[in-house]
Amino acid sequence: MTFLNVSLVAGTVFIALPIILHLLLRRRPRRVEFPAIQFVRQRQLPQKRRLRIRHWLLLALRVGLIGLLSLALARPSVIFSGDWVLQEEPVAAALVFDTSVRMEYRHENQTRLEAAKQLATWLLAELPQQSEIAVLSSRAGPVAFEVDRASARERIRRLESSADSQPLPTAISRALELVQQSQQRLREIYIFTDLARSAWPSQSLAQLRPQLEKAFGLSVYLVDVGVPEPKDFGLGGLELPRQILSSRGTLIVQTQVEATGVGGACPVQLELWEEDPKTGQRSWQKREEKLCQLQPGQKEQVVFRLRGLSAGVHQGQVRIVGGDALPANDVRYFTFEVKPPWQLLLVAPDSVHLVPAFVTEALAPREFRLTGQARYDCRLIRQEELSAVDLSQYAALFLLDPQPLEDALWQKLVSYVADGHGLAICLGRNAQPMDSFLTPAAQTLLPAPLQMQVRRPDYDTYLAPADRQHPILGEFRRLSGSVPWDAFPVLCYWQLGELAKGASVIIPYTDGGPALLERVVGKGRVLMITTPLTDHTNQEPWNLLPTGDAWPYLILVNEMAAYLVGAAEQQLNYTVGQTVVMKAEATAGRRSFVITAPDGMTFTAQAEAPANQLVLTPPAVPGNYRVHSGGSPDTGFSVNLPPEHTRLDRLTPEEIDQLLGAKNVRLARSQQEINRHVSLGRVGQELFPFLIGLVACLWGVELLVANRFYKD
Amino acid sequence: MSLVAKYLKPEVVRQIRRLDLRAKFIVRGFFQGLHRSPFHGFSVEFSEHRKYTPGDDPKDIDWIVYAKTDKYYVKKFEAETNITGYLTLDLSRSMAYTYRQEVSKWEYAISLAAALCYLMIQQQDPVGLFAFDEKVRSSLRPKSKRTQLGDVLSLLARLQPTGRTDVAASLTQIAGMLRHASLVMVFSDLLGPLEPILEAFYRLRHRGHDVIVFHILDEAEVRFPFDGLVELEDPETGQLVEVDASDFRPTYLEEIQQFRESLGRECARAKIDYVPLDTSMPFDRALSEYLINRSQRS
Repeated sequence: MTFLNVSLVAGTVFIALPIILHLLLRRRPRRVEFPAIQFVRQRQLPQKRRLRIRHWLLLALRVGLIGLLSLALARPSVIFSGDWVLQEEPVAAALVFDTSVRMEYRHENQTRLEAAKQLATWLLAELPQQSEIAVLSSRAGPVAFEVDRASARERIRRLESSADSQPLPTAISRALELVQQSQQRLREIYIFTDLARSAWPSQSLAQLRPQLEKAFGLSVYLVDVGVPEPKDFGLGGLELPRQILSSRGTLIVQTQVEATGVGGACPVQLELWEEDPKTGQRSWQKREEKLCQLQPGQKEQVVFRLRGLSAGVHQGQVRIVGGDALPANDVRYFTFEVKPPWQLLLVAPDSVHLVPAFVTEALAPREFRLTGQARYDCRLIRQEELSAVDLSQYAALFLLDPQPLEDALWQKLVSYVADGHGLAICLGRNAQPMDSFLTPAAQTLLPAPLQMQVRRPDYDTYLAPADRQHPILGEFRRLSGSVPWDAFPVLCYWQLGELAKGASVIIPYTDGGPALLERVVGKGRVLMITTPLTDHTNQEPWNLLPTGDAWPYLILVNEMAAYLVGAAEQQLNYTVGQTVVMKAEATAGRRSFVITAPDGMTFTAQAEAPANQLVLTPPAVPGNYRVHSGGSPDTGFSVNLPPEHTRLDRLTPEEIDQLLGAKNVRLARSQQEINRHVSLGRVGQELFPFLIGLVACLWGVELLVANRFYKD
Repeated sequence: MSLVAKYLKPEVVRQIRRLDLRAKFIVRGFFQGLHRSPFHGFSVEFSEHRKYTPGDDPKDIDWIVYAKTDKYYVKKFEAETNITGYLTLDLSRSMAYTYRQEVSKWEYAISLAAALCYLMIQQQDPVGLFAFDEKVRSSLRPKSKRTQLGDVLSLLARLQPTGRTDVAASLTQIAGMLRHASLVMVFSDLLGPLEPILEAFYRLRHRGHDVIVFHILDEAEVRFPFDGLVELEDPETGQLVEVDASDFRPTYLEEIQQFRESLGRECARAKIDYVPLDTSMPFDRALSEYLINRSQRS
């Protein structure tokens, strides 16, 4: 509790007055002579008790009246920390700024960050002398109190928005830890934010709220510098189904245009960074434009398709034409690589049960082959021809329901894979006798030894991908569990022994047995599926994968091929905060790369054998990055902001109360509101009106009692 | 209220300083107010002769009969059928009390006593007087002579109510002093324990005396006109009692009413005339009470 006029508390000594008057100078009742006193005495005792009670009641009322009046005039306030503090007592204050790119939203010719800085600079001058002040942004970094107010002011001035900002609750937690280390009794945290929902992820909030509730003597002020009704067109996340595609393929770039608080036409165009055919200089070349008609709050999907792309690494951007209040979500960047069509060798024995066309049609449909759009050139040979074929020209090889192989052939395949190629072994009914699959040469290649055929005639066994993080499952990941695997039962498969070193299960069956396995051999990799992909559906098939509306089968086969040729694993597009990992050309020893950032800054990085990977710390600037290396063509990658970082929908005060606790934070929008809340938090809730009301009530009661008591 | 009744009010009578005049004023006013006197026919007429016995007043010897018969005979008059009246006044300090500072209980009592004395002397009734506090302080033998009025009035005028009182003891003492059946008229506020007082009354009755109790209270003692917090002081004992008068009034009125009723009830049972009075009441009530009693006896 605090007092505005502490000296007036001394007025409470006047409560002694009524006590003195009552005890010493008590007003004597009027004395009258009355002979018939005997009639009074007989009945006077109960009334005497009542009188005494009234006396004490009156005394209590008068004491209370004077005490309360003195208290009220001293202007007391209740501070909920429970401490007695003075209004000008130094505080430990942490000024936390939301420095996400969303704070670049411009309103009335001022970004939200500029508005926050302006308010913070004013607030800095208002803080009591000797206060400890810390300035924190939502970027990660060390936190400490500033040396003095001037350095705090300078630090505020230098604040800039950044794409790699942490969730705001994390920054608040750091501020909380800092101010709690302070010796000051009053601790304050000012959070300058636009109250965008995306800045308050529920997971971080769940950690913050208990901390706030436990914090003693802490006042938290949310300073809302946001615009109540933001108006903005923005792009969602950019999706490229294929980042590495064949020159025959089509580049698909899709995104969403979202209208927040505004409607109308919104032109979106796709540009590629390439040479101007006229000038020969590299610049943004517009390739396609779409016009979206949006209502406020509406989203529209935009899909760009580009064909006829030359081989090499290409970079581009999708952007909203024309400016708006928030530029950060008006552009998204992308990088893709165009490669010549991959050569695939499909090997299958002669068998009535086997239909290799299932796989060839899945990889290179006839229509695509005829129109020159097929990503793969597939060559199908019989198994006995395999020994005579030069495998080096093929990017990957598919053994479809193979029969037993000779050791020499196994050796040939081991060399082929070890050189960096891909091999898919699709086991089926022809893999017997299985001794050939258990030879040391075969075991060098296979992820696990074959044990026995397992029959599952009840149609209750099917593929059941659990962890969808593997690149092969990337497409299924996008479908998020809506793949009807149960419609494609597996009736028979090969049970395997213990997994070889370096092998792993990518997809299991519902009964737990491994369905698709992977093993890295040398520079290449081997995929093995324990049920065939080519079984004839009319000949007691081992599975029904290629039957009916077999789109999961098509995706699975394509993804297996893409993985084997290396088109699925290379990631060229990242979001801010992700570690960039790029596959470099295999070389002996160390190799240096120069990376040019979107802002023109360059830095170097190195890749070492045998990993031959270029690993870069998470870039903080969105845009297209070029990677140069002597003697090889330039590559690159793109970094984008996560779309949620630029969503402008705001939390309501009720939601803030719900998320942070109504008692834990106070929301302010202007200097006046900050003043009021800070005064309330520092000095407490003024009790004057309440006390004066109580004084009036007591006075009234006292008058009533006294009038009745001393009526003449 | 008739003009006469108005003049019988204590505050009017109080204007007359001389007690004898006051008595005449009361009595004459009283009789003028009556349309037909219920006391008509009272006269001092010869009734019979009887033999003289020692102790009779020699003045009453009929010397003519002695001359004729040579025997002492005394004349027996109607007056001798009259009762001897004793004015018995309470001299306690409480009798001096007056709330409005107009007529105290004592003044009221002596005015009434004087009026009754006058009335009785007029009718040849012998009148005596006792004044008591804790015991009998003054007394006057009963006589029916006209001079008796002067004696009674001069004694009454001299008396001052000052001390503590013991009504019961005093009445017991008086009962012992009375040899013939008499009319004992008690003028008192009867403040004190009720039981002994009633016993004293019973004792008087037991000895054949007629008793009229003029219970005189002050107007304030009957109405309790106080308000707010007051401290009541007993003038006799100096005892103090603090009460919220406004709050206590109903209780007090109930208590005093109960006291008077119980006194009246007990007196009625003992065939004692109980006349509750207060200093605001006209004197005619008291006079009527006496005359009714006188008429019954005759």
